[in-house]
Amino acid sequence: MIRFEGVHKWFHNLHVLNDINLHVRQGEVVVVCGPSGSGKSTLIRTINQLEPIDKGKLIVDGMDLSDRRTDITKLRAEIGFVFQQFNLYPHLRVLNNITLAPIKIRKLARKEAEEQAMALLERVGLAEKRDAYPAQLSGGQQQRVAIARALAMKPKIMLFDEPTSALDPEMIGEVLAVMQDLAQSGMTMVVVTHEMGFASEVSDRIVFIDEGIILEEAEPSEFFKAPKHERAKQFLKQVLSPMH
Amino acid sequence: MDLSFDFSVISKNITYFMIGSYPHGRLGGVALTLYLAVASCILSFLGGLFLGMLSVSKFRVIRYSATAVINAVRGIPLLMVIFWMYFLLPALMGRTMPESRTVIAALTIFTSAYMAEIVRAGIEGIPRGQTEAAISTGLHPWQAMFYIVLPQGLRNMVPSFVNQFVSLIKDTSLAFIVGVSELTHVATQINNRTMIYPAEIFFFIAVIYFIICYAFTSLSRWLEKRLAWQKAI
Repeated sequence: MIRFEGVHKWFHNLHVLNDINLHVRQGEVVVVCGPSGSGKSTLIRTINQLEPIDKGKLIVDGMDLSDRRTDITKLRAEIGFVFQQFNLYPHLRVLNNITLAPIKIRKLARKEAEEQAMALLERVGLAEKRDAYPAQLSGGQQQRVAIARALAMKPKIMLFDEPTSALDPEMIGEVLAVMQDLAQSGMTMVVVTHEMGFASEVSDRIVFIDEGIILEEAEPSEFFKAPKHERAKQFLKQVLSPMH
Repeated sequence: MDLSFDFSVISKNITYFMIGSYPHGRLGGVALTLYLAVASCILSFLGGLFLGMLSVSKFRVIRYSATAVINAVRGIPLLMVIFWMYFLLPALMGRTMPESRTVIAALTIFTSAYMAEIVRAGIEGIPRGQTEAAISTGLHPWQAMFYIVLPQGLRNMVPSFVNQFVSLIKDTSLAFIVGVSELTHVATQINNRTMIYPAEIFFFIAVIYFIICYAFTSLSRWLEKRLAWQKAI
């Protein structure tokens, strides 16, 4: 579904992605973690080309992102992206946030798009907020609407870039629950997160990245029990018990 | 020195002040001022929007050309632009042209450059995440601009637009230099004919300009409130 082959990326002189090789299969849930500034956000943003790659090969849903002729707009419609800062459209009501792309891109009739949006709002537990503006919602609610907005395009892949990092602690659970539900429905997911509970319970594989290099790739049980790399050990120690 | 005023010169010439020699001759006075202002407003809004969007294009050639045009126009006095259009436009079009139209062209070009800067700043003021969210759902970048960025940006641009349009309304008075019989031109004509009432005449047209600008500002305040979406709970 997603295949990185020797992918490199630079920001000026900074080597943010260094020889990334990674394969995400259909239906798999992969968690990407690592210290801040390690390149994990950049990694996930290359998958729908919010960040173009400089070298190597990246194939997503059979389309080659390193090929200039690839219709990237068309590919993005098949990939849902959830941002750390939600990025809901503040001038549109919740319902219209969700129906905009299906109406414009999938050419759904308004009525059909709204029914589908209501079903999604139902699924994330926010049906009663259909007419609210984003600013009237809590962070957790906004993020759930953002997930519904991404799902409205019926994507084949869902990408999450630190979806709970901007949330108050009491709202993290409601967002993770929606994501877990989505994972169980068989969605292919790549998730950048520090939520190690989610990583160990929901993910099929954990990728640990530091300074643009994938240092470790393992099943969660393996990764948490016996991280091989020294930096992974340090990182785990810090996220699991930040006081020490 | 006698400081008494005689405003009867206004009432005697009120029709001429308002509509010029219309319907026997050309439309003039306040009516022509309004016509110049409204036409230039609409055209420069569109021109500014277009030029402003070009100036944030991701294609360097387009972006640089648009910026060059904007900077060039902003570095020229409006009066020069009016002269240019007055002499150039008929030559370019190969036929004579009503002076009022050359003035509308000049005002439009001049104001568009300023509007473009407002539009550019308004677009750049919208967080990058908005565009990213929109294109991530499969919208084309121009759709993201049209449905997401511009509607939010335009609302923030309204106060600056109003400023610019108020300037534009007053700038229509420069049209008198090429013989367009708008309000200021009409006033100079009446003043030349009557000779002894300059204070009354120019005080009167100052009030008229003020009323037009004030009415426009009030209208846009009202519009601004109407456009407000719920920003906070």
